[in-house]
Amino acid sequence: MNRFVKRASLAPIAALLSLGMTGAPAAAQQDGVIRVGITIRMIVENGLRYGQMAKDELEAVNATGGINGKKIEVILLDDECKPDKGVANVNRFIHQHKVHLVMGSTCSSVSLPMVDITAKEEVPQIVPHSTNASITKKGSAWVFRTAVSERFYASVHAKYLAENVGKKVAYLFTTDGAGIGFAKDYISFMRSTYNVEPAYETQMQETDLDFRSHLLKIKSLNPDVLAIGGQSDAIARITQQSYEVGIPARVRRVAASAASNAPVPELAGDAAKGLTFAAAFTCKDERPIAQAFVKMVQEKYKIRCPDHDFSQAYETAQLIKLALGRAALGLTEATLKADRTAIRDALASIKDYNGLASGPISFCADPTPQCRDGNRTGILVEYTKGGKDYDMALLARVSFAADFGL
Amino acid sequence: MSAAVDKDANPESPPAGLLARLVAIHPVVPWVIGFVLLLPLPLLTMNAYQQYILNVMLINVILAVGLNIVKGFAGQVTVGHIALTAIGAYSSAVCATKLGMPFWLALPSAMLITAAAGAMIGIPSFRLEGAYLALATLGLGESVRIVISVTEPLGASIGYENIPPPFLGSFALDGHRAYYYVVMPLALIGLYFSFSILRSDIGRAFKAVREDALAAAATGVNVRKYKVIAFVLSALYAGCAGSLQAHMHPGFLHPNNYTLTEMVTLLLMVVFGGIGHIWGGVIGAVVVTIINERTADYYEYRMLIYGSIIVFTVMFMPRGIGGIIDQYIVKKRFLAIRRARTNAA
Repeated sequence: MNRFVKRASLAPIAALLSLGMTGAPAAAQQDGVIRVGITIRMIVENGLRYGQMAKDELEAVNATGGINGKKIEVILLDDECKPDKGVANVNRFIHQHKVHLVMGSTCSSVSLPMVDITAKEEVPQIVPHSTNASITKKGSAWVFRTAVSERFYASVHAKYLAENVGKKVAYLFTTDGAGIGFAKDYISFMRSTYNVEPAYETQMQETDLDFRSHLLKIKSLNPDVLAIGGQSDAIARITQQSYEVGIPARVRRVAASAASNAPVPELAGDAAKGLTFAAAFTCKDERPIAQAFVKMVQEKYKIRCPDHDFSQAYETAQLIKLALGRAALGLTEATLKADRTAIRDALASIKDYNGLASGPISFCADPTPQCRDGNRTGILVEYTKGGKDYDMALLARVSFAADFGL
Repeated sequence: MSAAVDKDANPESPPAGLLARLVAIHPVVPWVIGFVLLLPLPLLTMNAYQQYILNVMLINVILAVGLNIVKGFAGQVTVGHIALTAIGAYSSAVCATKLGMPFWLALPSAMLITAAAGAMIGIPSFRLEGAYLALATLGLGESVRIVISVTEPLGASIGYENIPPPFLGSFALDGHRAYYYVVMPLALIGLYFSFSILRSDIGRAFKAVREDALAAAATGVNVRKYKVIAFVLSALYAGCAGSLQAHMHPGFLHPNNYTLTEMVTLLLMVVFGGIGHIWGGVIGAVVVTIINERTADYYEYRMLIYGSIIVFTVMFMPRGIGGIIDQYIVKKRFLAIRRARTNAA
C-alpha cells in the first residue's frame, strides 16, 4: 500500500504537469491583430499545399501593412478528416487563440460538428470545401460556404447526361461521405425528374481494391452511364477496372467531384479519358483570373493543374480578406465578441463576388442555405487524356437559383 | 507479459502511514478525498480548451484502465477494444435520440449493451491466443466500424448528429467545465473498481490465466469463465467511455473516430504506462493525450513523432512507466536490504 501511495501521488502530479503543457492559462492574445484559425485535411500531399497556400494568401497582406493597418495571424492545423481532431482544433482556435474567424474544413464529417461549436460560441466560420447540404441547413447564423453544395452538384451531371447520353445508370460507390452523397443525389434526381430507377446500385468499402465482380454484373446490364462515387483512389481504380472487365467506351463514366483531384487521371492512365465529373473549377478555365491563379500555383506550389480544392481554398482566403476589409474591428480582448459579429456581418454583405468560381458568390444575412451557400455554379468537366500529362475540357457551366434542391 | 505484475494489488501489503489510517476508516475514504481534491481542477485558471482536453484525457483514462483489465490483468491480446467503445458510443446515442432516454439512463444502458458485445468478442479467446486472438478481435473491431459506416440510421459515413448533453433538471451540462463534473467522478469510480477487481478473487484468477492458462485450469480456475468476465468488465469501461464521448458537446459521432489508428493510440496508452499497472495506464492516457494535443502544431511531422514514441517505448522501456517505477522500488529495497546486512555484519 506504500507503493500505492507513491504511485497514486504521481497521477495528480502528471495531470497537473500535463495541463501545464497544454499552454497554461491562455496567454493574453496580442491586441491589434486579426487571428484566423484554419483547419483542413492536410494528411494528403495536396492538402499540405493548399493549406499552406490559404495561410500564405492571408498573411501576404502583412507585407503591405495589413488590412486597414491590422496584421493577420493565421493558425493552421490538420484535422486529418477526423471529426474529433476538427472539434479539438476549433475548440483550440476559439478558446486558446481567441480567433476572430474559423476557416474549415475539407471533409463534411468534420465541418458538421464544427458548425455546432461555432454557432454556440458565436464565431464566424467559412467552409472552403465541404459539400454536405446539412452544413448550411442547421440554421447557424455564423456559417458561410464557398464550396458548391451537393444539392447543386448532382444536378449538374445528372441533367446533362440524361439529356445527352441516357437514363439507364449503374451506380457503384464507396461508403465514404463523398461516395454516398454523390450516388444518392444522382439517384434522387433521376427519380424525381425522370421517374427512372437505378439499373444497378451497390456500395463497397473505401479501402476495397477489387471492384471487378460488380463491374462484370454492370457490364451484363449494358447501361448508358456508369456512376462512380468515392474518393480519388477508388474512382481511379473503378474507372480502370471498368475497362479491364470489358465495359465498352460508349458507356459514359461519371464520377464524384473527387475525380477532379490529380491522382485520378494519373492513376487511371488511359482509362481516365472520357471520365466526366462536376466540380467548382478547372485549370482549363480560360478566364485571365483563372489562368493567373493556375500560373501562381504552378510556380509557387509546384502543382501543374490545380483542382477545385486549391481554387476554393484560395477563393475562401480572398473572401475573408474582403470581409475583414469591410468590418470595423476594435481588436482588443474587450471587443472580441463585437469583432466576430462585425466579421460575420461583413461576410453576409458580400454580393456578386467574381473570383475563381464559375459564377458569382453571394451571401446574405438569413441563416438559411439560400443565403449561406454562396457559390451556386457548378461546371461539368471531361478528361480528354489520362496519365501524368493528363488534360481535360470544360463541357458545361450550370448556375442554379438559391433555393434549388431545397 | 508475465513480468507485468501489479504489486500494488497485493492484498498482503500492509497499509501504512496516512493512507493506512484513512483506509482503516473505510477503503473508499482515500477516493473521496481524491474526488474532493480534483473538484477545483477546472477552476484553476484554465480556459475552455484546456477543460475540453481534460475531459478527453479522463475519457482516455477510463478506456486505458478498461483495456488494462483484459490485456494487463488477464493477458488477452485484444485489438478490438475501440470497436467496443464505438458500440458504447452509438448505443448511448441511439438510446438518447431514438428512445428519448436521458443521459443518466442512456449511459448504463450503453454499458450493458457493450458488455454483451464484450462477451461475444471474448468467445474467440476460448480457442485463440496471442497473435491469432489479436487478428480475430481486429476483424471483429473493423467489422463494427464498417457496419456503422454503411448503416444510414446510424448516420453512415456522414456522422450521427444532435446527441443531447446530460441534463441536471433543466440545466444542460454542455459546457466543458460542467461536463468535467460528469466525467471525473466516473473516471474515479472506474479506477476504484479496477483496484477492487485486481484485489478480488476474480483478479487473482485473471492473473493465473495470464501467467499460465493450463496451470490455472489444473488448479480449478474456470479459464473460459474468467476470460469472458475479463472481456465483459473491460467492455463496461469501453461502453462508459463511448457514452461519454457521444454526449460531450457537440454530440457528434463518426466511424472515422474508431479506426485502427485510434486502437493503436489506445494500446500505446497502456503500453506506455505499463501493461498491468493501473496507475501506469492512467499516466499513459494522460501523457498520450497531451502528446496528441501538443503535436497538432507540427502536423507535417505528427505521425513521425508519434511513431517514434511507440518505437522508442517498445525498445527502451517495454514495461512502460509502471515498469520503471517497479524497477526503481525494487532497486531501492535491494539497496536497503544490503545496507542493513552490511550494518549487521
